[in-house]
Amino acid sequence: MLNSTQLWAIVNGTIVTLEIAIVAIIFGAIFGIIVALGRISKNKIANGLSWFYIWFFRGTPLLLQLFMIFYAVPIIYLNATGKTFQIDPMICAFITFSLNSTAYLAEIIRSAIESIDHGQMEAAKALGMNYHQAMMKIIIPQTFKRLVAPIGNELIMLLKDTSLVSTIALFDLLRTVKTMASATGNWIYYVYAAVVYLFLTTILQVLFDKLEMKFGIYEKR
Amino acid sequence: MTLENSETNKSDIMVRVVNIKKKFGDLEVLKGINFQVTRGEVICIIGPSGSGKSTMLRCLNQLERITDGEIYVEEELMDKRKNDKTITHIDNDRLQSLRCDLGMVFQNFNLFPHLTVLENVTIAPRIVKKADISEINQRGLELLDMIGLKEKADEFPVRLSGGQQQRVAIARALAMDPKIMLFDEPTSALDPELVGEVLETMKNLANDGMTMIIVTHEIGFAREVADRVIFMDDGFICESGTPEEVILNPREERTQSFLNKIL
Repeated sequence: MLNSTQLWAIVNGTIVTLEIAIVAIIFGAIFGIIVALGRISKNKIANGLSWFYIWFFRGTPLLLQLFMIFYAVPIIYLNATGKTFQIDPMICAFITFSLNSTAYLAEIIRSAIESIDHGQMEAAKALGMNYHQAMMKIIIPQTFKRLVAPIGNELIMLLKDTSLVSTIALFDLLRTVKTMASATGNWIYYVYAAVVYLFLTTILQVLFDKLEMKFGIYEKR
Repeated sequence: MTLENSETNKSDIMVRVVNIKKKFGDLEVLKGINFQVTRGEVICIIGPSGSGKSTMLRCLNQLERITDGEIYVEEELMDKRKNDKTITHIDNDRLQSLRCDLGMVFQNFNLFPHLTVLENVTIAPRIVKKADISEINQRGLELLDMIGLKEKADEFPVRLSGGQQQRVAIARALAMDPKIMLFDEPTSALDPELVGEVLETMKNLANDGMTMIIVTHEIGFAREVADRVIFMDDGFICESGTPEEVILNPREERTQSFLNKIL
């Protein structure tokens, strides 16, 4: 069984994992809305920029993005300014995962907005609302229910992808148990990690099912 | 078109369109339409599908932009375009206030499904006119009472029948105190037994003196309620006059053959 040092190490690893996933989903959702609005905008610059953003961050491995920010950015900075600078690995993880989930969430949000019947925007405009008012009060609120399931999916993916941060010297849940397993030669630590991952994803699944019901209340006949 | 009535008081002209055309790419849907509507007039527009009736209506409140012609609301220029280019620029604030003057009712109701019936009626006054909330709610309930759906105020639209939804959509448009109401085939998406209640609501509105432009296939309704019937075909106004003239004694052959098909 686990001694208390090991238990605390696993708890701390779990916290690192959760922190990264939660920060990434929050910033991803906020910036994702902006990038999604850019994608549906008729403004060519906004549209092109957001297209490029999504193209880059969906088209390259998350691990590569992590390395770029952790290893490449300090070198670029050194070459440009002659000064050394070290990114805190946790900050680096927050930034990379947020940038990455922004791209995925932007596409989720864009397709949810575009799935709302065109008549809704027309009705809002016919009532004198401008684009901004129609978006905020009519279109976006209707996307909530449709967003819950894919965002839950994205959050669960994020939670598991956080294990990549072991490559930039962070002790997340997986790296913590791997260290224990190799130190003791006991595979049981992997089972503990699996249990924690399953526990967290189960909570998320139940939570998101509830949210979907809540946001869909107006569709009940 | 010689609809211009020299006796009409100028201030009583609610809508006037001059030679409006609408092209979608190479397809010309409206090929030069002229007409005007005076205060309190109820106009029914009939015609085969694809004749440009709905497009014409949608051009009036600029859900579609005309490619040529002029649109005046209460003799104020609202749009003037030539070859798909704007001649006089109207700013967004003015466009918005124009849209508040023209209430619109859609074929598919387009109620906001995430809002209750009362919220559907009050949301536009609340965020566009930014008036006092309790006054807006009071007025909303009055409108729901008028259409006989006050007891449904807190229901979501999905729990209403099609006819009830369309009546709410009418109340929602009226909540902005429009000067003119536009109806785009308001009963076409309804089961036959639900058509009557919507027509009844519209009839009451007409009797209250509302200026109305109605695109419809309900010839019986047009005969009963319209002051003037316009028959459109192939992007033109083919014939226009009183219901007796257009529906009972059509002059044009195309009007006759259309009426023969649907009556």
